[in-house]
Amino acid sequence: MKGIKILERILLAIPIMLGIAIIIFFFMRLTPGDPVDIMMGKAGMVSKAEIANLRKEFNLDKPLHIQLFLFLKGLLKFDLGKSFTKGMPVMELIKETLPATIELALFAMMFALIIAIPVGVISAVKQNSWIDRFAMAGSFFGISMPHFWLAIVAILIFSVKLNLLPTQGRISYGVELAHITGLYVFDSIVTGNLEALIDTLKHIILPAVSLGSAMAAIVARVMRSSMLEVLRQDYIVLARAKGLPEWLVITKHAVKNALIPTITVVGLQMGVLLGGNMIIETVFGWPGIGRMVVNAIFARDYPLVQGVVMFYAFVYITANLIVDIIYTVVNPKIQL
Amino acid sequence: MLQIRNLTSVFPTDSGMIKAVNGVDFHLKQGQIVGLVGESGCGKSATMLSILRLLPHPGKIIQGEVLFEGEDLLKKPLSEMRKIRGRKISMIFQDPMTTLNPVFKVGEQIRESMVIHGFFKKDGWNGFDFFRRRRKRKEIDKVISLMEEVGIPSADLRYYDYPHQFSGGMQQRALIAIALACNPRVILADEPTTALDVTIQAQILDLLRRINEEHGTGIILVTHDLGVAAEFCHEIAVMYAGRIVERSKTDDIIEDPKHPYTQGLLKSIPRIVKHKQKLYVIPGSVPDLLQMPPGCAFAPRCVYAIKKCKEKNVPLTEIEEGRYVRCINYI
Repeated sequence: MKGIKILERILLAIPIMLGIAIIIFFFMRLTPGDPVDIMMGKAGMVSKAEIANLRKEFNLDKPLHIQLFLFLKGLLKFDLGKSFTKGMPVMELIKETLPATIELALFAMMFALIIAIPVGVISAVKQNSWIDRFAMAGSFFGISMPHFWLAIVAILIFSVKLNLLPTQGRISYGVELAHITGLYVFDSIVTGNLEALIDTLKHIILPAVSLGSAMAAIVARVMRSSMLEVLRQDYIVLARAKGLPEWLVITKHAVKNALIPTITVVGLQMGVLLGGNMIIETVFGWPGIGRMVVNAIFARDYPLVQGVVMFYAFVYITANLIVDIIYTVVNPKIQL
Repeated sequence: MLQIRNLTSVFPTDSGMIKAVNGVDFHLKQGQIVGLVGESGCGKSATMLSILRLLPHPGKIIQGEVLFEGEDLLKKPLSEMRKIRGRKISMIFQDPMTTLNPVFKVGEQIRESMVIHGFFKKDGWNGFDFFRRRRKRKEIDKVISLMEEVGIPSADLRYYDYPHQFSGGMQQRALIAIALACNPRVILADEPTTALDVTIQAQILDLLRRINEEHGTGIILVTHDLGVAAEFCHEIAVMYAGRIVERSKTDDIIEDPKHPYTQGLLKSIPRIVKHKQKLYVIPGSVPDLLQMPPGCAFAPRCVYAIKKCKEKNVPLTEIEEGRYVRCINYI
């Protein structure tokens, strides 16, 4: 039964993906600037014939509806086309950059949750105390500060002034690391490579904290307000009347209930972490999807942008589905 | 066994102190059932919560004693208090739908009560737990037999259900099982049947009576229904605006109510008769707890009120053996 419902949800995602595909196709072609012009502008001194050749190669000489048809036909075969600028299949490029983005998102989320859930719980339990006020002021700061600004300030303090952490990339030149999954921290643990582990951790701290701080702030606030709501419930009084110590009342009876609304937010934020990190990746020179798509937009690399947007849509839909599945585990009242 | 003396609890608000419980005195003897009767908001529930020191923030107890087995619960450290809650004195709440935790299995919630008070622990060394699975099975079996005792059918299956899969009556039975888990000396039943259908109500009361008879558990039954209290309790205490206004054996109160408020309450119980008659209504309304009249709180609504009633507040006085009334007309 559950399996059928999940399958239903997956099938429902197909028309959504189709809609997104059509929209992004036209939006890319509405943006001023021509991909071939931009490429040729860089190369300089090209003949008309060469330009015509390129157009033909990229199918840009065909009418719009044929181009759309070719794009959608490719999608059916999970073929996102070939990048104009890199000359490689878009699928390959995403596969290549995906581990970096995932690793960054995972660390950002870990940072956010490790900070936010305890802060939210403590703030609620000690409502209106100085801890609560301090934490909520901090989270307000976290929400309001744009993360590129946080990133730059962090670079200034920890890299430029204190010279503690690197500013660019995922790993230092000269540090050897066998690629297994492409998640460098994971790979270095698996291969027992301590030097690489320390080096990759040093690289990931600043981007992860900059990217995760906004999520931490939001999650802490949601967790606090849902804890406050839960702590007023009758079943909390019952838990105390049973003779449970207060820490068990909070961590067992209250937190599990308070997590239900928090999970929604975390799921949506996971989408943001994977799909909204262009700026952080650019600031820290992080070789992930975000930085790649920014460059692709500037180059009007239609297939690459289209492909990445399709990928982002896929991530959002999957994240939502996973949230709904986790929901049924945490809250027995909800079935898919 | 449980003696409450001059218990006073307040809720500070922006517009002043609300005395929810105002010098309440009564006691519960071993194996007795005492009814605490009064309108909504008269401080019955607050009295119960005060006994276990579970008043919600910002409520607090400002004076009085709660003597249980000779010790004042109000003076105990919180860690000692926890060993009494659920173990020696447990509580049944008004609304079973919101009182069970929605995210845990019903059986587990009952088992938790036993585990927390070390009900399954053997004496002495309790280190390595080689037989955890087998021991847990034993615990579950014990919970299931308790669920059967409180009348939950096919308890072995329902152990694994979540609260929302239970009907209201079954939820209340589960809560009674939680209250009963450690075989307590006293059960504080705070309107246990208010949220239930009348037919279910009778079953739940029967169950409580059986528990009282079989285990000798003392019960304080809080209810707004004098009829239920008359049916069920050995003694009745009538509360009005935070104070007890009359207290005595059930038969005395029903046959010969002394306090004008008790008389009014009795008169306003609807009866099934052939000719419809208008229901008796006590004139006026419950006083605002923020602006209590200086004298007797009931005086503004009382047909027998004299001038002195509005000036002076009289204490609960024993007018006959075992009959206590708080009314100037009997002094």
